[in-house]
Formats: sequence, structure tokens, C-alpha cells
Amino acid sequence: MNNIIKIKNISKKYRNKNGEIDAIKNIDLEINQGEIISLIGPSGCGKSTLLSIIANIDKDFKGTINKDKNIKIAYMLQNDALLPFLTVYENILLSLKIKKCISKDKIDYINYLLKIYNLEEFKNSYPSSLSGGMRQRVALIRTLALKPDILLLDEPFSALDGKFRLLISDDVYQIAKKENITVILVTHNLEEAITLSDKVIVLTKRPSSIKKVINININKPTIYEKRIDTKFNYYFDELWKALDLNE
Amino acid sequence: MSKEQKEYLKKLKKEKYIIFFFQLLIIFTFLFLWEELSSKGIISSFIYSSPSRILKTINSLIINNNLFIHIWITLKETIISFVLGISMGFIIACLLYEFKLFAKVIDPFLTMLNSLPKVALGPLIIIIFGANIKSVIIMALLINLITSIITIYNGFIRTNEFELKLFETLNATKGQTLLYLIIPSSYQTIISSFKLCIAQTLVGVIMGEFLVSKAGIGYLIVYGKQIFNLDLVMTGIILLAILSYLLYKLVITLENKLLRQK
Ligand SMILES: Nc1ncnc2c1ncn2[C@@H]1O[C@H](COP(=O)(O)OP(=O)(O)OP(=O)(O)O)[C@@H](O)[C@H]1O
Ligand SMILES: [Mg+2]
Repeated sequence: MNNIIKIKNISKKYRNKNGEIDAIKNIDLEINQGEIISLIGPSGCGKSTLLSIIANIDKDFKGTINKDKNIKIAYMLQNDALLPFLTVYENILLSLKIKKCISKDKIDYINYLLKIYNLEEFKNSYPSSLSGGMRQRVALIRTLALKPDILLLDEPFSALDGKFRLLISDDVYQIAKKENITVILVTHNLEEAITLSDKVIVLTKRPSSIKKVINININKPTIYEKRIDTKFNYYFDELWKALDLNE
Repeated sequence: MSKEQKEYLKKLKKEKYIIFFFQLLIIFTFLFLWEELSSKGIISSFIYSSPSRILKTINSLIINNNLFIHIWITLKETIISFVLGISMGFIIACLLYEFKLFAKVIDPFLTMLNSLPKVALGPLIIIIFGANIKSVIIMALLINLITSIITIYNGFIRTNEFELKLFETLNATKGQTLLYLIIPSSYQTIISSFKLCIAQTLVGVIMGEFLVSKAGIGYLIVYGKQIFNLDLVMTGIILLAILSYLLYKLVITLENKLLRQK
């Protein structure tokens, strides 16, 4: 399989008046096209930092990132950050407007996504009239509308609970597999990591480096079916052992 | 509409009438007492004037064709200074936001200018710009501009951090962030700075008219003082009170209209 992005020997220090903080130390990562990988690790170990570096928001780091310059990366955060003064539709168009890439194709794609996520009738509503889950779906459409090759997700579902969380995770899983989008997901949730990903990367505590890579192989079409598959428990145990609870 | 709702609305309407009635009552009692006390000689009508003398003064101002000119001049100066104050305040706030280093550099000077009693600059302004409407507007701008810059800028920096982060993840340029996020998010702050600005503009305009002494309601007041015609002074104060009340009301109505549109 061909690598869509190669991360070589990345290190990152934060600096302020009081000194330096080592956030990331010597991370190497090769990610294949269409692969879904999860980053899991202790709180504050540097997961968001790594995503910012991959997304080219944070340019102050050591090491190299190799990727084709035509690769489009989109980044979705935990907070939906829907602008309250724009309608759902205007919020979605915002990302295209900023990237200056509005096209007929993309508009059609947005309308298609609105339809499959049952948001069509809310197109012209303001975000304040939507539930948390619906808002997060709008944020997902806003991100997908860019037609990214790589999708970075930083704990995107953690504000949601229960069934909604599972539903929207499945949305992401289905669309990523269907459109061959590469996904890098940061999560604290073991189930989410196992059911969504092809590979789980366990990071050490700060400064983070890679502690263990677990390849997941549960051949089922939906998150729900993966969750009830017998192999799930095996991976859960693997992951549980890899995460040192004393950390 | 239910019966209860109708009754409730009726009650609200009644309350409005009662309030209005008492407001009128206060005004008329005040005018009546003022008139009576001065005509009986209990208070000096030379110093405190009286409603009838004020009416007479207004009448003679109308006959001399001066009243509306003075009101118009004050009004014109106020509107020009207000519009300039808001729009320049907005532009400068945008520049400060875009050029953070510049903002840091001029911060102490802004603070100094903000705490300086601007009237102290009056003589200087008159010498530089001459005894004319320009000086009045500069005086008003000195007073309202700093406040509108600071209010609008504070609105800018209060922008939601997650929304800013979103723009970061989209690799938005500074200009895009300002245009699509910062300014629309501060819409309410900008609109509600109008109230503060109109009050300060009036202070500046009257101060300017005191100094320039050519025309306007402020001029009527200083002129009355110079020729010891306290009826004229009192008339000026009453006109000013009415004008500022009406302007304030107008701004509030404008604000509500603009806010409701959104
Ligand atoms: N701008 C910054 N300046 C200084 N230190 C920072 C900055 N941003 C993050 N850090 C520090 O770097 C470390 C890694 O932060 P990061 O946000 O990447 O962790 P994380 O793994 O995403 O944590 P969490 O699980 O809580 O989201 C943390 O210890 C944090 O305190
Ligand atoms: Mg994080």
C-alpha cells in the first residue's frame, strides 16, 4: 500500500518565559491511504499538538513530514464552533469560502450530506435551534465539504453521549471507507479506538513517543457490529494492557 | 388569543398610561412651582429665570430667526462627530486588532489620552483649527473617539476562542478572520457602543461651542452668561436637555432596529 503521509522523527518543544516543555519526542509514523488510525494516550501527552503539526497549523517543530503537496487536510475539533450568526448552510459554506474552493460539485456534495444526515430541513435554521448531536453533524459536514484526503479528528464526539456518539462515529466510519478518506482520530475512548480504526497507536506520557501499535482486524461493516464481535474483547484487553494505568 | 392573555395585555397598557400620567404630573408640578415661586419672589427670577420668561426668550429667538439656526448647528455638529467617532473608532479598532504589536506600542498613549481632561486641549485646538465648526468637531472627537475605539476593540478581543481555533484549523488569513468572524461576532458590541458615543459626543460638542463661541446651543449659554441674561442661559439648558433626550431616544431606537434585524 502507498503512504499518503510519512512523519519522520518529529519532536516539539513549547517555549515560554519560564522555560521549555517537551511535548513530542521522536515520533515516526507512516500512514496508508484510506487507513483509519487512532491516537490514544494519557491526558496532556501531546496528541493535539501532533495533529496541529500534521495540519500545518503549528510550524515550529523538528523533523519532517512528507506528503504530496496536493493532499488536502481537514481538521475537526471537539467543539463544533458553529457561528451563531450564520445559518446551518452558511456555516457549512464558510469553510469553502475561506479555502476559496466553492464549486458546483461541492455544493451538490453538501446537499447530499445534509440529506443523508437528515439535516435538510434545518438548512436555513440557526445553530441555536439544533441539538448537540445535530450541531456536531453540521460541523462534520463543514469539514467533509472540503473533500479532504486526510481527516484529522480531535476528540470530535466527546461532548456527545451514548447513542448519538455511536451514530456519529458510524457516520464518520462509513463516509471514510466509502470515499477512501484517511483518518487520524484522537480519542480517550477505548471502544471508539477499536471499532473505528485499522490501527491504534498508543502514546507514552509527555513527551509523547510511540509506545505500541496495535493492528485491528475486525471484518464487519458497521461500528455496532464490530462492537459485538467476539474479537472486540481480545483487542480491548490488548489495549488495556498497553495503557499503563500508573501513568 | 386567550382571555387571560388579553387581560394581561390590557394590564400592561394600563400601567403604561399610569407611568405616563405621573411623568407629566412631575413635569407640570415642577414648572408650576418654578413659576409660582419666582413670581411671588421666593426665588430670584433674575438668577433662576422662570417658565414664562423662558417662553418669552424662546419667542424672541424665533422672531429674530435664530432659534432653529442654533439648534440646527448643534445638531449638525453632533451628528457629524457621532458618525465620525463611530466609523473612525471602528477602523482604528480593526487596525489595532490586525497589528497587535502596534496596539502594544500605542497602549500607554491611549491610556494617557483617555485619562487626560480633554478640555485642557481646547485653547490649542482653537489656535490650530480656528474658531469654527472644525474645532467643535475635533473637540467632540477627542472625547468620543477613544471610548469608541476601546469599546469596539474590547468586543473584538472577546471573540469566542473555539471559533478562533476553527479559523486557525482552516488556515484562514488574518483578514478573513476579521471579516468573517471578529467583526460579525462584535456586531452587538459595536451597536451598543452607539449609546455611550452619543452622550460623549454631546459633551464634546457643547464644550467645543463654549470655546469657539460662535453659534449653537452651547454658544447661547456662554453668550447669556457674558451679557448677564440668565433667561438665555436657562433657555439654553432646557433646549439642550430636550435635544439630548431626543437624540438618545433616537439612538436607542436605531440600536433596537439594527439588533432586531439580525
Ligand atoms: N501553547 C502552549 N504553550 C505551552 N505549553 C503547551 C501549549 N499547548 C500545549 N502545551 C502543553 O503541551 C502538552 C501537550 O499538549 P496537548 O494539548 O498536545 O496534549 P493532549 O494530548 O492533546 O492533551 P488532552 O488529552 O488533554 O487533549 C501539555 O502538557 C500542555 O500543557
Ligand atoms: Mg488534546
